[in-house]
Amino acid sequence: MAVAPLGTRAAPTSATAGPPANLPGDRERDRDRDRIARRDRRGRRVVALTPAMLLIPATAVLLVIIGWPLVQLLVISFQEFGRAQVFGAPAPFVGFDNYADVLGDATFWEVLGRSILFAAANVILAMGLGTLVALLMTRLARALRLLVSVGLLLAWAMPALTAVVVWGWMFDTQFGVINYLLSQLPGVDMIGHSWLIDPLSFFGVATVIITWQSVPFVAFTIYAGLTQVPTEVLEAAQLDGANGFARFRFIVFPYLKSIFLVVTILQVIWDMRVFTQIYALQGIGGIREQTSTIGVYIYQVSVGSGDFAAGGAIAVILVVIMMAISAYYVRASIKEEQL
Amino acid sequence: MRKISIVAFGAAVALALAGCAAAEPAGSDGEAEGAEIRVWLVGADTPQEARDYLKETFEDENPGSTLVIEEQAWGGLVDKLTTALSGSDSPDVVEVGNTQAAAFTTAGAFLDITDEYDALGGDDLLPGFVEAGSVGDAFFAAPYYSGARVVFYDTALYEELGLEVPTTLDEYIANGQAIAEAKPGVSGIYFPGQDWYNALPYIWENGGDIATLDGDEWVPALSTDGSIAGLEMVQEVMTTASVAPKDGNEAEAQVPYCAGQIGHLSAPSWFKWSILAPADAEAPGCPEREASLGVFALPGLDGGPAQVFAGGSNIAVSANSANPELAKKALAIMLSDEYQSILGGAGLVPALTSLGDTVGTDATAQAIAQAASNAKLTPASPAWAEVEASGVLQDFFVKIAQGGDVADLAAETDARIAEILNP
Repeated sequence: MAVAPLGTRAAPTSATAGPPANLPGDRERDRDRDRIARRDRRGRRVVALTPAMLLIPATAVLLVIIGWPLVQLLVISFQEFGRAQVFGAPAPFVGFDNYADVLGDATFWEVLGRSILFAAANVILAMGLGTLVALLMTRLARALRLLVSVGLLLAWAMPALTAVVVWGWMFDTQFGVINYLLSQLPGVDMIGHSWLIDPLSFFGVATVIITWQSVPFVAFTIYAGLTQVPTEVLEAAQLDGANGFARFRFIVFPYLKSIFLVVTILQVIWDMRVFTQIYALQGIGGIREQTSTIGVYIYQVSVGSGDFAAGGAIAVILVVIMMAISAYYVRASIKEEQL
Repeated sequence: MRKISIVAFGAAVALALAGCAAAEPAGSDGEAEGAEIRVWLVGADTPQEARDYLKETFEDENPGSTLVIEEQAWGGLVDKLTTALSGSDSPDVVEVGNTQAAAFTTAGAFLDITDEYDALGGDDLLPGFVEAGSVGDAFFAAPYYSGARVVFYDTALYEELGLEVPTTLDEYIANGQAIAEAKPGVSGIYFPGQDWYNALPYIWENGGDIATLDGDEWVPALSTDGSIAGLEMVQEVMTTASVAPKDGNEAEAQVPYCAGQIGHLSAPSWFKWSILAPADAEAPGCPEREASLGVFALPGLDGGPAQVFAGGSNIAVSANSANPELAKKALAIMLSDEYQSILGGAGLVPALTSLGDTVGTDATAQAIAQAASNAKLTPASPAWAEVEASGVLQDFFVKIAQGGDVADLAAETDARIAEILNP
């Protein structure tokens, strides 16, 4: 209510300021004011429309390529959908039956728990090692840094499947180089040792492969961030007697907090839905039942055993979980920006 | 306005590009001149000579058209066929394992070829395989070849240790144990944990089975007395006669064989060619050991050939084939006497029973004939392919190889198999 008199007072001034002006300076000022007024009155619409238009192509592509399959997935998860339906048989709707079956299945919870633990271990390892490598790179001489960068890039550029096959050979039970090298140690006989048959050891090998391929991304991103931390602040802290750890904890980390946040979210998402490495490793050895993570489990249920409806339900549940995790972090980072 | 039209143009291009991927191939009904027929063969089983013959004959008979053979792997085949056959760029002719065929014939993935039955060979076709490829009276997938499992063995090792070719299953196991004992690091009987096909004879010979049909219900049978006796034999072989990886699979068994680490190797008959592959082949074998490569049919518990797994393939035309008439012509060539004789010459049992003698008369051929005479199939359920694809049997035998409790594991696996077979 307090605004109303202001508004009514403003209207007459702009109305009277227009027509009667004769001097050129006045006219110019009027045009200026006119433009400002137009922007004020229509501003919101003009500003809102252009970005929206610019977003249309990207949105359209996303809707067609990701949105449509997602809708299909959602629909299938409420249907009876097996191999016969893939080839054209009618698919009756069954309500929440698929979800009830999945949530009531102990295997699903086992797989989900295993996936979360596995992802947590991998994220912590990749973030820790990646940060250490990034810090190392800031201390290295140029030539050495180039060497480390090339090494990281090669590991990162290697296709996941190729990596698993190569690591699989190295860990091979009969002819693997790791068993051979370990057996060269006096008193050790590892020939014929299966690295994949024990689930814990299986995930150890999987962690080596996945961490080896995630560290480069983490290291490069954090290294890029580290170069942006102002050196004078670090020098000042050093003069004040802050040791390396304190400087990282109280200066570097707060500067790079948003980078750490984004990289962690990406790692969580990538490691939760890991598929290629586990699936390929299961073909080499190990017991599927004890080593499936959620991505592989969805594949086994839907494509492997032909129950696309149950697989769809699990996938939808996973999408919800992932969105909950990222929503928490996105909200946290928005709050951070507003402060 | 210019900005807006650029944005609109961008959106239109994006939509058009996205649309391309989903577009149906034009003229999917018309028999295009100069069409390309894609044939999916699985594994290295089909010899190169047969592949060349198929391509040349087809292209001679259908001028302007081409035939492309795309080789697929046995692992994960069911998944791959499900996605490929339901898509718009489906292969035209596909090979499928005989125990996997029912999953696709009942789902409507294959073209009905009942009218071609007589032209393809009629009652001359292998009966068990015709059954595997049919639903009721409708015929969908023709037999391609059958391949019984035989035992390859190292005759040099036999001479060195003074062993004799076994006549019963117990003697076979004893021979394997003798080799394993005398030669540390050598598998008397090579038996990696995931190799469940080779465990079947032990179960069947002891009177057990995986599952039996009672009315419309499949009753799992791994916990029956016969099966348990067989499974205990399997465990004995795996733990006392084999040093193969407990969680390994049977693929690439020529590598340890050629490294001199295998006494007996039970494998499909065509595996001989993997062992004897030239040293410069993509998957090299050891042709220099041909002289010491012996072969016999796995002996049964009471002598005679054991009941082994009747492996083999069916061949079908995809229901989504863009050129079904041309695809049927390719199928006809693959079931012709000439083509099937080439398969016979390579140690595969031809799909036409009248060509049985093309397998030859050497030791391998005799072993194949003996093994095939008593071969058996897995449960004939459309859901059987799902049991195979789920990996439940691989997991089961890996745990047996590890020395787990047979009765507990059998009960657990029975429950899982029953769940899949009776949805």
